[in-house]
Amino acid sequence: MNATNTKMMISKTRLLVLLALALLLTASAQAAAPGVTGPVFNLTAQAGSLSQPDGAAVYSWGYGCNGAPAGYAPAAITNAFCNTMQVPGPTLIVTEGQTVTVNLTNNLPTAAGNTSILFPGFNVTASGGVAGLLTQEAVPGGTVTYTFTPSSPGTRAYYSGTQGDLQVEMGLYGAIIVLPTNTTVLSGCTAAQANNLAAQAHWGESNFRLAVAAYDHASTCYDREYLFQFSEMDPNIHNKALAQVTAAGNCAAGAPGCSLNVPTEPYSPAYFMINGRSMPDDMDTNYASQYPHQPYNGNPHMHPGELTLIRVIGQGRWQHPFHEHGNHVRILARDGNLILSQNDSTKLGGRLEFTTDTTPGQAFDGIFYWTGKGLNWDPYGHNPASSDLAAKLPCTPDGNGYNTSAPTAINYYEWCQDHNKPLQVAPFGDVAGGGPATLPDPNILTNGAWFGGSPYLGPNATVRAVGPTGTTPPSGTIANPPTSEAGFAFMWHSHNEREITTNNIFPGGMLMMMLVDSREFVIDESN
Amino acid sequence: MKKLYQAVLFVLLCCLTPLVASAQSFRVQCPTSTVTHPSSLHDNNSEPAYNGPTNLAVPTIPPAGTNGGFLMPTGNVNGAIKCQQIGGGDGLSTMGDGTQIYMFSFGPLSGLADIANGQPGTEFPSVFNTVYPGTFLPGDPATTVGGSSGGNAVPIGFTYNGAVGLVPDADCMAGNAAAAASGGTPPCPNLPADGLDGHVDPRAIIDVGVMNGNIPAPLFAIDEDDEFFLALSNVGMIMRPDLFEQHTVHFHGYPNASTFYDGVPDASVAINIGGSFTYYYLAPDAGTYFWHCHITPPEHLQMGMVGQLYVRPRQNRVPVGQSLYTYLGYQQNDNRTKCDSTQDILCSNPLPAGGAAANTAARAATGNYAYNDGDGSTYYDVEYPIQIHGFDPNFHFVGMTFNPEEFNDMKDKYFLLNGRSYPDTVTPGPLATQATDGKMHFSQPLPSIINIPAGGKALLRISDLDVTEYQTLASLGIPMTVIGFNAKLLRDQAGNNLYYTTNSITLAGGESLDVILDATDKTKYPSGSIFYLYTPNLDHLSNDAENFGGLMTEVHIN
Repeated sequence: MNATNTKMMISKTRLLVLLALALLLTASAQAAAPGVTGPVFNLTAQAGSLSQPDGAAVYSWGYGCNGAPAGYAPAAITNAFCNTMQVPGPTLIVTEGQTVTVNLTNNLPTAAGNTSILFPGFNVTASGGVAGLLTQEAVPGGTVTYTFTPSSPGTRAYYSGTQGDLQVEMGLYGAIIVLPTNTTVLSGCTAAQANNLAAQAHWGESNFRLAVAAYDHASTCYDREYLFQFSEMDPNIHNKALAQVTAAGNCAAGAPGCSLNVPTEPYSPAYFMINGRSMPDDMDTNYASQYPHQPYNGNPHMHPGELTLIRVIGQGRWQHPFHEHGNHVRILARDGNLILSQNDSTKLGGRLEFTTDTTPGQAFDGIFYWTGKGLNWDPYGHNPASSDLAAKLPCTPDGNGYNTSAPTAINYYEWCQDHNKPLQVAPFGDVAGGGPATLPDPNILTNGAWFGGSPYLGPNATVRAVGPTGTTPPSGTIANPPTSEAGFAFMWHSHNEREITTNNIFPGGMLMMMLVDSREFVIDESN
Repeated sequence: MKKLYQAVLFVLLCCLTPLVASAQSFRVQCPTSTVTHPSSLHDNNSEPAYNGPTNLAVPTIPPAGTNGGFLMPTGNVNGAIKCQQIGGGDGLSTMGDGTQIYMFSFGPLSGLADIANGQPGTEFPSVFNTVYPGTFLPGDPATTVGGSSGGNAVPIGFTYNGAVGLVPDADCMAGNAAAAASGGTPPCPNLPADGLDGHVDPRAIIDVGVMNGNIPAPLFAIDEDDEFFLALSNVGMIMRPDLFEQHTVHFHGYPNASTFYDGVPDASVAINIGGSFTYYYLAPDAGTYFWHCHITPPEHLQMGMVGQLYVRPRQNRVPVGQSLYTYLGYQQNDNRTKCDSTQDILCSNPLPAGGAAANTAARAATGNYAYNDGDGSTYYDVEYPIQIHGFDPNFHFVGMTFNPEEFNDMKDKYFLLNGRSYPDTVTPGPLATQATDGKMHFSQPLPSIINIPAGGKALLRISDLDVTEYQTLASLGIPMTVIGFNAKLLRDQAGNNLYYTTNSITLAGGESLDVILDATDKTKYPSGSIFYLYTPNLDHLSNDAENFGGLMTEVHIN
């Protein structure tokens, strides 16, 4: 290839390098919605550097823990930490009706001036510090205290209320999750989830949820949950802030020149992040040691039929259309306000969306699931003529058509109307033929890193169809191996597609893979 | 880097070699009978009336070629088989200021006449599986009909809608004939009598497909219960021979999608140049979806690989005069088609509130419905797919040359409705552009002029695939009633419609909604009146340097 013929080489080699990195680190990373518990939170605002996949270390400000927090949740994640600076800030996990106290100490560089936290949606009492435009602020080295009692559950944002155009851009934001307390709802959800809990127990899966319901409402039960905070960074702003902070040195607060004058317009962000990380870093584990200031990831996994709660917040200054491949999302609530039918409060009223807008400062909660209903072919590749017993499992439809009476089976929650129904015209390994579709010669196809190796779901079906290496390159070089996972991988990403880049490099930015795994694969959110 | 890449490629090729199967690279698929739509029970070349769920049973004797054990129809079969072929490659289009702009793009390789006439290129097997009686010329159908730049006549005077390239499989026919003569085993036992098994003449696909890009990409339209076979033939990008790009089709918004047919190259397979890949789906729930290539999305979407797709509801097939509420009730008898809000949090069309007494609408004699509403509230007389998009000419110029592209500074300068800016949006007939092969091609077949019969209602199926920013479309005159969002009826779980009336809608790339323009008041909207749809993003009312044009079109009351 000649020197000018570079575009494809650049994107392919970058892809390979990124992929190699991703594969070293992500093969089994999952996500959950980890955070710290209170009800007293001692936070600090400090400077630090954010790692980006192009190698940049971007000077930023973030909230962190001022000393060890009262605790971490969920308990099943045991390697949690809370640094003194992180982006997003610590996820504050509290309970409805419980009085929350946040003590914020301003450890930003003195030239950065005062700082504060806003908790939109709560009735906050601020004490200490000095009066600012929107709330009480902590002066450099000083502390301010915010107290409030959440009266309703849900996900909300918190962020700096001081010079927000600069401080939020620099990273001073986070999430607060309020857990519901209605015992009737909670016990009802637990009863409804009995079979899924039995399935998880059978395969040795831990429970990584913060609660069994998102709200005090029976329609908000969930089996799994993830938190995604969307934000973007313009490195020019960060570089100018660093230069001015450095120039100011150890100046005295209020002394002439001991302040920043960083223009925040024109705005030209180059990093588009989910939970403070850009793809592929966002698919590394929670609390991965290489990101001391970016502890939270984005790499959701779920089994067919599991109700998955997504908590999503727009933390930057732009809107981002977040497209969830695979199914729609039912919007449950915005900023902690459950959306119900106007004349029947037992029913939900939120929209169904396949692209969910994130809006600056706004949070929404939504429910997603995937079952394969209506595919018109059996994704498990069942074959009644196979010698493999797992290929001949029964599918007994419940009142909704799903195989829910056998929680220990691989095909728990299979959509029974398509059971045994073939996809391919010709038999495909040990998967029956007679179906509608014919695949081309594999030599004229290019396989992706998250391709499980066959059209089918799970190791049993995949290995029966195409053998242990799949139709992919050797299993050691793929992120979704035929013999262990072979999940259905769906891309969840910003559909302002230029935002799935990192500083002009594709792929990157606001992009992650969501995997639907057969029950054979044990989803472990702790690694 | 280069060495690493080559080594990986080498390993990859080595590992694939043992899996070689016999197959032609370009081919199409459009079976006349499947286990879901057996031709013995049902004519797959028309949509039967909906009289309730398909009857299903597991046959006691497995059908030939299968291992059985699955449900098959025994009667009352719903839906049919639909097929389409598209080419993935490149092309040129004409902007509102006359600038010709280079695109990576899809073009039609079936339904050529329908596409050029602004219709979907989705066909029944009896239409798709027909052989072109002549010889295709590069640029067809524009070359054959003498298409000229600017607008062209409608209808275009070209009627062939079959699969480009389809020819009888001569090798199979000869092999079967020889086997019959010698008493041997026929090599192609399932070959139809006419020899049409999807085998194609690649010359026709290349002649028609190269530099044949359309913006928007060919329109797909299917009905609930249909099986849809979409063949994507990758003809290569002739102006960028250095790019050995794959292309894919992502069916954006499909509920319970399969990864394999989701079109994400990272998570599935992607077709190389010179080959065809057939996507297979049973039609999902009714609604306005859209589709696009998912290879390097910030590049391929900006460059033009975006198209429209909608699914029509079962309710259209209810016999005229029958109660829509009663027939939506029939859909509750099949787990696949029911919506029980107490059991499924992701279904949007439960029975309308108020029961049968409050919902007395009957299937109208004319017109159609956007959703299975059960109350007739999504009725329309005419429907128009409208796709919002934007082109950054600087990015397209770089894309035509051999330089690396920058994404951060992407800034659209052409604002497009169905691939055209005003005033081209109201030019009837297909727009043609002369490509670098010296031939005219129908580059932009879809006008956006909304013609509403006096006293009628128009359904606008609006989708947005802009890759850089949110865009707003406003109606000057007839209010917009938003009835659906992201391919779902706007209805709460209790059955109350959540429609709202507005004069503007805002969408980001990757979103769609359904709007009804209600012109039933002939006093307000008399015959002959003209209204406008335009963007209040006033800087988008421009065609690059021209301070006129952009995201705007007209609504005519006829």
